Amino acid sequence: MAEHELKQIISQLEKPSNLQQAPKLLSRAKLGLLHLQALVPSSNTSPQHLLLATTVLEHGALLSIRLKDTEAFTRYYQQLQPFYSLPQGRWQRAGKPGNQSKVTGLYLLLLLSVGDYAGFHTVLEGLEMSSGKEQIEKDELIQYPVRLEQALMEGSYDKVWGETKGERVPSEEFAVFSEVLINTIRSEIASCSERAYPSLPISNAKNLLFLDSEGAVIQFAQARGWVAKDGRIYFPQQEAEMLAAEKDVMSSSNTVIENTLGYARKLETIV
Amino acid sequence: MADKMDIDAANGEKEEGKIGPAPGLPTERVITNNFNLINQAVDSFDARFTLRALRSIATIRKAANFPEALAIGIRTAFPKPQNNARRVLEEMLPEGMRSSGGQQNGSGEANGGAVKEQDVVEIAEVWAYLGVLVQVYLFDHQEYQRGADFSSNFVDKIRSFNRRTMDPIGAKAYFYYALFHENLNPLPPSKQSPVIDIRPKLLAALRSAVIRKDDETQAAVTVLLLRNYISTADITQADLLIAQTQFPASAANNQVCRYLYYLGRIRAIQLAYTEAHANLESATRKSPTAGPAVGFYQQATKLLIVVELLMGDIPERSTFRQPSLESALHPYFKLVQAVRVGDLQAFLKCVHAFEQQFRSDGTYTLILRLRQNVIKTGVRMLSLSYSRISLRDICTRLHISSEESAEYITAKAIRDGVIEATLDHTHGHLITTPARDAYSTTEPSEAFHARIEALLGMRDECVMAMRYPMNKHRQEIAEAAKARERERELAKEIVEGDADADDGDEGGFEGM
Repeated sequence: MAEHELKQIISQLEKPSNLQQAPKLLSRAKLGLLHLQALVPSSNTSPQHLLLATTVLEHGALLSIRLKDTEAFTRYYQQLQPFYSLPQGRWQRAGKPGNQSKVTGLYLLLLLSVGDYAGFHTVLEGLEMSSGKEQIEKDELIQYPVRLEQALMEGSYDKVWGETKGERVPSEEFAVFSEVLINTIRSEIASCSERAYPSLPISNAKNLLFLDSEGAVIQFAQARGWVAKDGRIYFPQQEAEMLAAEKDVMSSSNTVIENTLGYARKLETIV
Repeated sequence: MADKMDIDAANGEKEEGKIGPAPGLPTERVITNNFNLINQAVDSFDARFTLRALRSIATIRKAANFPEALAIGIRTAFPKPQNNARRVLEEMLPEGMRSSGGQQNGSGEANGGAVKEQDVVEIAEVWAYLGVLVQVYLFDHQEYQRGADFSSNFVDKIRSFNRRTMDPIGAKAYFYYALFHENLNPLPPSKQSPVIDIRPKLLAALRSAVIRKDDETQAAVTVLLLRNYISTADITQADLLIAQTQFPASAANNQVCRYLYYLGRIRAIQLAYTEAHANLESATRKSPTAGPAVGFYQQATKLLIVVELLMGDIPERSTFRQPSLESALHPYFKLVQAVRVGDLQAFLKCVHAFEQQFRSDGTYTLILRLRQNVIKTGVRMLSLSYSRISLRDICTRLHISSEESAEYITAKAIRDGVIEATLDHTHGHLITTPARDAYSTTEPSEAFHARIEALLGMRDECVMAMRYPMNKHRQEIAEAAKARERERELAKEIVEGDADADDGDEGGFEGM
């Protein structure tokens, strides 16, 4: 009975129109799983129940991405991990669930979009260890965040921009992050430009920052505190920093004194 | 630091040569001699004797007649054939050794041994020591499954003893326990590996070790757990373990080395390169650079080189010239050459050529992260060589796909402080700003401070690492008491002598 009900819920979840009711359906599904004692895999859970549980949790993960509920997504991801690490033999005829790389890829992208590079690399390291390099290199859904990370780290922001555009994104759930990522690279580019250019023509800045119009550029410039005049953008931070650096030498005399006193004290304890 | 370690090791060996078994001694005598050492350790409550007994394992296991000697050792310690402890140990030995030798030799040995070694018999440490030898035997003969089963029961039994003199042996036992499970199929990277099943037991061991203030086992088990987690890439769990536990300060040097190595590895994966570098550097400095442990030294150095590269430093050339490292580090040498000149093509070629090697070293994913460093170094070389260079030229030199990419990359390099330059967007130039005088900044004093800090830290560590014999102060008190006695006698004599001398002197004076 519970199984039957679960299957019904899953078929309802598969309909795209039910997005708003999804959380309710999901909690009912999870209750059902609890009745079957399949929410957490144990040594005597049957393959059918395992498959049911994974399907529900995967749906939950993908739906929470669509609802932009990243916390729920992380929870589903964590809940899925014990299922994914089960040996092949446990699935038997039921066949292994197909969305593992999609969920993992999304999780990697989520880590990337919040700037958690340490977490990103930790997950990646685990993937390489457990499923081998070839499999990962073939897997487009995992390669996508990996490529993005590489481009981000090396500074090829135009590549990131290219990747986030429509046809290059592997599936619609991934597109949710595109916006976040574009904002990330925009602020990265802005902070780079502040240092790299003495001044910049507004028309060029539009291309650099991937903005649509010059009006948007001026808005963006104001938000960052840049000065736009005579069709060029000037970066006031640069000068301020120069001044600060000079002051730094003066104000560092305190630390110098502190250090020297520290050395004296240490010398005293040694001698 | 390194010098100190060397001296330490040399001293240890000398001591062993003096007191420990002579090299010519038959193996079974070495084992029975070690019983005496262990007895001594239990009597005087000094773990150093136990350590000496454990140290000879390396020589014993290489002996041709190790199994026979072990059988004799077991019979000597437990003369009665129906003894339960003896049966458990003997079951692990080869069939022939048990039945035939057990009957004939056992009676003969019992006659001679029973009288002499009576006091040995019921000491748990001796039994545990023999257990470790059995583990070694099983491991050397690649009987991993039997070894794993035996070890599971063995460590359970050891844990039930709450004796501090047992600690060093217990730590060894856990080590082999984990080693056996690592060698069982499916091997570690797989998520079904038996290493995962031994975690609860290791954690339990850690718990009781902490409660009993058993530093040896605590250190050994912490290191084993870290190794265990890293072998299945559970980096997060390893990180949590480090955050929740404290590594005992009094742990043996080799455990400290291992701990630092694993810590460095975890931090490197988490991109905390500075911390990783500090840990790995101490690990390489503390580790022995020759002898059987050279493999560890090589491994740690490999990781250290990669982390240094990731930090943007170039490792010193002399590292690669050390005789114990030269051939092992060859791929890394090529890698450093490519990174140093910022040649992306050479770098990719090198990574491709040595992929298998890097992968087995577990540095591959770290090396892949080096790509951006190579580009940065390339940008830096160009910026140093030219006062003005067009973005198009940068593209061709660094093999970057487009000018836009080049512009972003250089802009990022400027922001990250890799180069001192400005970009001219309209003309597409990178203009290097002339280098400022470093001595007008606080940089020299910062560098100075960092060095002083490092040296002071090293000194503190040295002071803390000094060991003092346990009962030295009692001896001193006794000696002081004796000295006081002597002084008193002396004073008495002086007083008496004085009287005599006084007489004489006075006599003399009067005579004058």
